[in-house]
Amino acid sequence: MKLSDLAEGLNKPIHFEERPVSKELMLELLNIAVWAPNDGLREPWRFIYVDGQNSGILNRLQEPAPAYLLIVMQAEHDSHKQEEDFAAVSCLIQNFRLLAHERSLGVRWTLNEWTYDRKHAEAFMLQDDERIAAVLEVGHIAVHADVTSEKALQEPQLRFELL
Amino acid sequence: MNLSELIMARRSIRKCNALPVEQELVIELLRDAARLQPALDAGAWRVVYAGTPESSKQLVDYMLAQITQSKLGKLIPGKLLDVMKRRFTEIPAHVIVLSAQGTDRLTSDRNFAAVCGMMQSFQLLGWERGLGMIWDTESIIQNESFFKGIGIREDERFVGILHLGYFDKAPRGRKRTPAERKWTIWEGSTI
Repeated sequence: MKLSDLAEGLNKPIHFEERPVSKELMLELLNIAVWAPNDGLREPWRFIYVDGQNSGILNRLQEPAPAYLLIVMQAEHDSHKQEEDFAAVSCLIQNFRLLAHERSLGVRWTLNEWTYDRKHAEAFMLQDDERIAAVLEVGHIAVHADVTSEKALQEPQLRFELL
Repeated sequence: MNLSELIMARRSIRKCNALPVEQELVIELLRDAARLQPALDAGAWRVVYAGTPESSKQLVDYMLAQITQSKLGKLIPGKLLDVMKRRFTEIPAHVIVLSAQGTDRLTSDRNFAAVCGMMQSFQLLGWERGLGMIWDTESIIQNESFFKGIGIREDERFVGILHLGYFDKAPRGRKRTPAERKWTIWEGSTI
């Protein structure tokens, strides 16, 4: 199977089954996802798993999901390094998202205003030099009517210009 | 090669061979990468492409402008400068990626993250076709003359340059820290 073959499935809206997601499966996928490019092998990420049944404040801050994965990144003082790290973490998430999809796990990649709030960060015991780069809502994909969104059928528009 | 193998096999490639890269292939792979990123709107990113010897040379001049124009840079021997330039001009294609900042930090971060995800897919799709890339975000290139040269717009954020080409040899991978060691289970509020 070629990577581009995943596109059709990724274009469908994600609905979750209620059953939990095994932590072992998440770790298995994360261990492959960490092969993301990252400058100087800083590996500027760590993961907080939150069970959807006991999600605390996420209950009102996020959409319901069987499981959440908080992707926490090291916030370097150097703003340039911080951009590099944010990019590296985003590559890791993309790997995870693609791998999950192959195993019929849906991942909604979210970033919401509350993640900038230090009060909320403290609730998840983040260190002062850490920030939330994304909150992933994860669950088994419920079988649903085979609707392909209009967007999926369209040729993606590119803004491609020559130097 | 399945997806897991592909993700683990991909390397950053700094040295390409002389085989030319077709612009059509780059566009095809960018479209495929965009398709894997449905949340990414067309208006949220833009690519500036250098794929000819002339435009590569132009780009490298912009990249090194800061160095060559500085007092210290004037002391760099011409030969050394040529070596630095050749490192990049010998790479056949350069994809400069910019993301839209929007009106607030959240939009800017969302766009930036989604564009990075798209670029990772682009790197993987390229690897499937024998293309190697290095994602360049060197701080030394990020200055006004560079940004002016590539034509960055006021509302755009520089994400990186992917220098790409075919290659003869991939370096060995560097081991990653197991995810288990970077993993915490949140047990609920402790207060």
